[in-house]
Amino acid sequence: MTFQHFWDTYALMLGKAILTHLGYVFVAVSCGTVVAIILGVLLTRLPKMSKFIMPVLSVFQTIPGIVFIGILFIYIGMVPKTVLIALSIYAVFPVLKNTYAGIINVEDKYREAARGCGMSSWQIMFRVELPLAMPTIMTGIRMATVYTVSWAVLAAMIGQGGLGEFIYRGLGTNNNTLIIIGAIPAAIMAVLLGHGIDRLQKAVTPRGMRKED
Amino acid sequence: MIEYRNVTKSYGGKQVVKNLNLTIADGEFVVLIGPSGCGKTTTLKMLNRLIEMDSGEILINGKNVAEYNPEKLRRNIGYVIQQIGLFPNMTVEENICVVPKLLKWDKERMHKRVLELLELVGMTYEESGKKYPNEMSGGQQQRIGVLRALAAEPPIILMDEPFGALDPITRDSLQDEVKQLQKRLGITTIFVTHDMNEAIKMADRIVFMSGGEILQADTPEEMLRAPANDTVREFMGKHVAKTRMDDPALHCGDVMKKKVLTAESSKKTLECLELMSAREVDSLVVVDSARKYLGIVTIEALRERGEAGRPITELLDTSAPTVQVDEPAQQAFGKLLASKALNYVIVLDEQQRVVGIITRTSMSKALASVVWGVKK
Ligand SMILES: Nc1ncnc2c1ncn2[C@@H]1O[C@H](COP(=O)(O)OP(=O)(O)OP(=O)(O)O)[C@@H](O)[C@H]1O
Ligand SMILES: [Mg+2]
Repeated sequence: MTFQHFWDTYALMLGKAILTHLGYVFVAVSCGTVVAIILGVLLTRLPKMSKFIMPVLSVFQTIPGIVFIGILFIYIGMVPKTVLIALSIYAVFPVLKNTYAGIINVEDKYREAARGCGMSSWQIMFRVELPLAMPTIMTGIRMATVYTVSWAVLAAMIGQGGLGEFIYRGLGTNNNTLIIIGAIPAAIMAVLLGHGIDRLQKAVTPRGMRKED
Repeated sequence: MIEYRNVTKSYGGKQVVKNLNLTIADGEFVVLIGPSGCGKTTTLKMLNRLIEMDSGEILINGKNVAEYNPEKLRRNIGYVIQQIGLFPNMTVEENICVVPKLLKWDKERMHKRVLELLELVGMTYEESGKKYPNEMSGGQQQRIGVLRALAAEPPIILMDEPFGALDPITRDSLQDEVKQLQKRLGITTIFVTHDMNEAIKMADRIVFMSGGEILQADTPEEMLRAPANDTVREFMGKHVAKTRMDDPALHCGDVMKKKVLTAESSKKTLECLELMSAREVDSLVVVDSARKYLGIVTIEALRERGEAGRPITELLDTSAPTVQVDEPAQQAFGKLLASKALNYVIVLDEQQRVVGIITRTSMSKALASVVWGVKK
């Protein structure tokens, strides 16, 4: 098989798979992040409940993605929605954990100063706690993104495209080249997205909160 | 005016503030001092309701703080903490504007205020306005911390050991700046410290607390002169006497009062009595025509042995303590503290001329002025 032949056969398919894959990652991480930050903020307001909820969430996070997609598939069927919901839920965990930790770990002196200035508890949340927790939250988003790139491979399991399609086909037909065509772009995507988020984080972090290099 | 009335606060059955009563006049600088855990911070924070009291009331200009919305109350009371707590995600300008922003000032007014405030502490907007807290020294940061508290022109400002974490030199200059600002702006100030030097330097009135109670509330001078009990005395001794009395660089000439009520030896008994009663003193320093020291004449001596028309030289007491003008001040302090009868020491120059006296008041003033740089 020559490269030319290869390119003619798979180029279009690969392009489409990459876009689908990216789409899954983008939607899942976006939805997951919004939900996670809201839940994270609410949990910090309920410190007693959080003591129990946070460990339970950690356990959830360890359930293999394949189980989850499988179960959702039974209820929702072979549609992209199944994939998006499953991936979004997975994306929630790291962001939620980091949002919670980021806010809880804001030093008390800032809360004390904010209260002394006459901020209400929601003003403290939005003007002080969330901005100060932002680096930690971004780390969570980065983790969620990198994970989601690999979990999105599972979409192909229920015929919903993405780079997983090459991998599953390659596995099914014992074609290593196909596996590699799926795996390498996925790996590169994970690295690039991670890098992109790092850049974004640097750009939006106020100078006063940047760690000395 | 701020009035604490029978204010009590307990944690887990332990009273940490006990039935506290304290009235603070407008523009007064009150320093709360006392050993660690005596309830200073609690007393302070009950005023802006960061801590809610169990019973009693605190009135500001006659209105109970409990009647205010706590957030609105705090926006009208400046608050400075030891850990500074400037928000690291905000520039100096944004930090200063936190309270004005909560009060919904317009942009222009806020900016004008920032310029004005920075100028008060000798900083410029160009240089500092856009800086972030981590780009400044601790002392600079706490200057901004103070400005943040002053930003919305509150009539009252609370400071909880604001300079506790700064090095001594920075602390010293910040003390001066804050004291000057406070005087200039006439802001009622409650300031917590456990540093007696700081208290003496800053306070109009020192409130000494121990175990949740006020043991003494007095001017610094009065507190130095007459500590209410052993606890206060010990605290003062630890912080004032030991550290400064033995300063060998301090000479009698530096600390003495130059205005001395003297009587020439040619004066007669009645003249002296009149002089004493006019000036409300109980003794006079007697000198010859060249101002050379001869002795003192006391009211007791005059009363017991004085007869109208007799020269006072016959009543002279020559046992009064004297020091030389260039002797270490410590000598004078020692003699002063040892002397039972007389409450001053007479200072003489090389020719034995009277040049001044050292009283307990001049001693405490001197301790504050020479050592801490307060102007007399
Ligand atoms: N939230 C709390 N729960 C229980 N006890 C407390 C609490 N806050 C303060 N206390 C206790 O109340 C007492 C007074 O505390 P406070 O902070 O007013 O002391 P302080 O005079 O400011 O001391 P320091 O000089 O160490 O700052 C202390 O014994 C302290 O342990
Ligand atoms: Mg304290």
